[in-house]
Amino acid sequence: MSAQELLGLLDRVVGRARAGEGVEAFGLDQTETTVKAHGGEVESLSSARRRGIGIRVVRDQRVGYCFTVDLTDEALDAALDEARDNATVGSPDEGNVMPAPQPVADLDPAQLFDARVDDVTPQQKVDAAIALEDAARVGADVTGTDTAQYGDSVRTAAIASSTGVRSSYVRSDAFVLVEALAGRNGSTTSAYGLSIGRSLAELDIEGAAAEAVSRATRLLGGTSPSSARVPVVFDPFVTASFLGLVAGGLTAEAVQRGRSLFAGKVGEQLAPEGVDLIDDGTLADGPAAAPWDGEGTPTQRTGLLDDGVLQGYLHNVASATRDHTTSTGNASRASYSAPPGLSPTNFYVRPGMTPPSELIAGVDLGFYCQQVMGLHSGANPISGDFSVGAAGVMIRGGEFAEAVREATIAGSIPQMLAQIVTVGSDLRFLPFGGAMGGTTLLVDGMTLAGGASADG
Amino acid sequence: MTPPVLDDADLHTILATALSGGGQFAELYVEQRRSRSVSVDDGRVEDLVTGLDRGGGVRVIADGRTAYAFTNLLTGDALVEAARIAAAGVSGSHTARVADLRTVEPPYTHPAAKNPSGLDGSGMADVVRRIDASARDVDGAVRQVGATYGDITQDVLLVNSEGHRHNERRVRTRLTARVVASRDDVVQTGIEAPGAAAGLELLDRHPPEDVGRRAAERAVLMLDSRPAPAGEMTVVLAPGSGGVLFHEACGHGMEADIVAKGASVYRGRQGEQIGSELISGVDDATVANAWGSYGFDDEGTPAQRTVLFDRGVCTDYLTDRLRADELGLPRSGNARRQSYAHLPIPRMTNTYILPGDDDPDEIARSVQRGLFCEQLGGGQVDPASGDFVFGVAVGWLIEDGQLTYPVRGANLVGDGPSILARIEAVGTDFEVREGICGKDGQGVPAGLGNPTVRIGRITVGGTAA
Repeated sequence: MSAQELLGLLDRVVGRARAGEGVEAFGLDQTETTVKAHGGEVESLSSARRRGIGIRVVRDQRVGYCFTVDLTDEALDAALDEARDNATVGSPDEGNVMPAPQPVADLDPAQLFDARVDDVTPQQKVDAAIALEDAARVGADVTGTDTAQYGDSVRTAAIASSTGVRSSYVRSDAFVLVEALAGRNGSTTSAYGLSIGRSLAELDIEGAAAEAVSRATRLLGGTSPSSARVPVVFDPFVTASFLGLVAGGLTAEAVQRGRSLFAGKVGEQLAPEGVDLIDDGTLADGPAAAPWDGEGTPTQRTGLLDDGVLQGYLHNVASATRDHTTSTGNASRASYSAPPGLSPTNFYVRPGMTPPSELIAGVDLGFYCQQVMGLHSGANPISGDFSVGAAGVMIRGGEFAEAVREATIAGSIPQMLAQIVTVGSDLRFLPFGGAMGGTTLLVDGMTLAGGASADG
Repeated sequence: MTPPVLDDADLHTILATALSGGGQFAELYVEQRRSRSVSVDDGRVEDLVTGLDRGGGVRVIADGRTAYAFTNLLTGDALVEAARIAAAGVSGSHTARVADLRTVEPPYTHPAAKNPSGLDGSGMADVVRRIDASARDVDGAVRQVGATYGDITQDVLLVNSEGHRHNERRVRTRLTARVVASRDDVVQTGIEAPGAAAGLELLDRHPPEDVGRRAAERAVLMLDSRPAPAGEMTVVLAPGSGGVLFHEACGHGMEADIVAKGASVYRGRQGEQIGSELISGVDDATVANAWGSYGFDDEGTPAQRTVLFDRGVCTDYLTDRLRADELGLPRSGNARRQSYAHLPIPRMTNTYILPGDDDPDEIARSVQRGLFCEQLGGGQVDPASGDFVFGVAVGWLIEDGQLTYPVRGANLVGDGPSILARIEAVGTDFEVREGICGKDGQGVPAGLGNPTVRIGRITVGGTAA
């Protein structure tokens, strides 16, 4: 369905708005392909076509929501009536207002949608997945791959409201993701590598495979370490995972509801000078790039930490209204089936000048943390305290030494931010679980614990 | 449920089209899902969201390869087009034909005694208000209450080229309460989240007041907690709390896709004594109205009870059609999919450590120094190594057989086989919990159960010096 056709359906819905109510309709039409390879063959190929519309009704500061994938006129009318009914139940909240229209962010459509994505044949997608798997089976200790997949999607999103919002965009995404397995003396390790872009032509298949292999092989022979307080070097993907926790606390909703460890800290020096945390929905290379957010507000570049000083929080219209400020374009919309939430877009730490190799070479004794497990269960999002499982490699004399597994690292987010020593020059975005971008990061003195020195 | 546009001739055409590229097996999965949820957050009732999602997917298998195409346009034409795409996705040289469809009745049914539609929007809002109020009544330290009521009515139609056809209605209802309490600088969270493959009778078994109170009591209790010590120690898992550990550390490695790929620490170990003789564990989709139960799995195999570990011996893996064929194992009825937009993969249903012979009270009393886990948080496992980590949401230090004080910031780190081997006592008691299990980007409801269990030693990650 073209963006114009989708907008036509939305126009029908918002055209039925009654006096005194705000009606917003959000439509999504998405095609996706995923190919997984195993043993040199296609393991599975999945092709999808999905579309649906979600309707939000605001009346008397109350909001109701209903979604449908049945896009007939009757079904859309029924969904609007149901959303109206649903809007009679909730509590009134001053934040329940419809956004007014604004010019959307100036993002070149060609940077969001790579027209080459339409020319990729199913066979080329299959070949990409198989080539990825082949490339990840190289090396003496490599025993195979757990997952080797190619995926792409084309997503047409549109929004219209009775307050005059009306916009659409098309975005393409493509990725390869491979998890390599390595084995030695009966123990197995695994690690992934990935590459993302707007179409197959932008992906680095060999690079993703090599990344998975070197990361998996590096962990071989790992043992539980002695407990110690050491500098920790975070792998870019691990940094990105931790940024997910940080970003959650930087949403205004978390602050307003007493769930943020950053509440009341605007203007405070939370990290050393030179450390910048940025949310930028207009960053064309970021996985979450879009001209407008989940309620039609233009996306923007928002500096959260500027030279280590907290500047403010991320807002959607509801949180901004409560705080008497303006939305930062962070209304999130994963699908048509849920009302707008509040999430980061492309959220990243601005890369520094030090190449990762140089950063590691400067560490005399430390732990290179390549994987964490249980971050979302092992962390208290309110206090920021965390204790998570970790695997990686010890750094001795500036070089990788013995591998480590069955370890934990413990600390707190405020402590971790305050103790950042060096921000690496690399920046990698994780397209999963929010579009977090991390660099190699050196953090001073964290508690690394293992079973080796402990004596029950 | 059959969409009105699909009659037997349509179904036959879709399956025949799917086989036209030389596939050996074809299947159509059609799902309609009516969902409702409402939450209360910070004293405000918000987000009454209702909706209808539906769609159909066509799967073709040829020589272990799979093609899947799905659409949420449920017309005969759209599904035939999906069948064409799937047929082109895996070519083969088979000449399979579509057998005459015969309707099969589910061996187990889990009907909702009280249809969720008996509760309208205001009734749903009232439920979450009651959770909110009861949680706030517990203690002045309660700062925030978040609660959700949700129900899903899922109607499935599955037909395949072997002639199988079944319809099944699955109703699931769940309450969740998340309470934040704070005092001075300490902030703690308590969670309670009962659910069932049932309707409004869930509210009779778990009155909203109880749900709110339990979550609040946990949060308030943890305000008095001290940082957990780190190191190896004896750990006692309270009934219900250890199910998630068994699920993650032992269950996932028994899923046949992980086994088939060589990514499981339990691969090739059927018949081997891995754990203590005290430990037996099952996966059971037949438990009446349990959160993870169903009549048929998502490719039409009847629900079953499968023994994973029998007195410590590794027994049967959890299979779907593909991996059962690949490994030469029976189909265990564990193929599950999050929705029509997902391929079925081997998943757990309700996974339980079975009760043993030990007096639950005696189990903790026997410990000189250790950790008592009343509630675990989420966890994660690397099935290849069996390594896992779990947060301990509510824990106590055990000293001289007594629970002395609650601890925070603890987590458990170890690997599945070692933990099974170090089980020293299994209680006669038993409780279950409900969760959503994530794997390959798909979340499905999973039940978790266990008696009181003592593990001889396990690495505890803590924050105390």
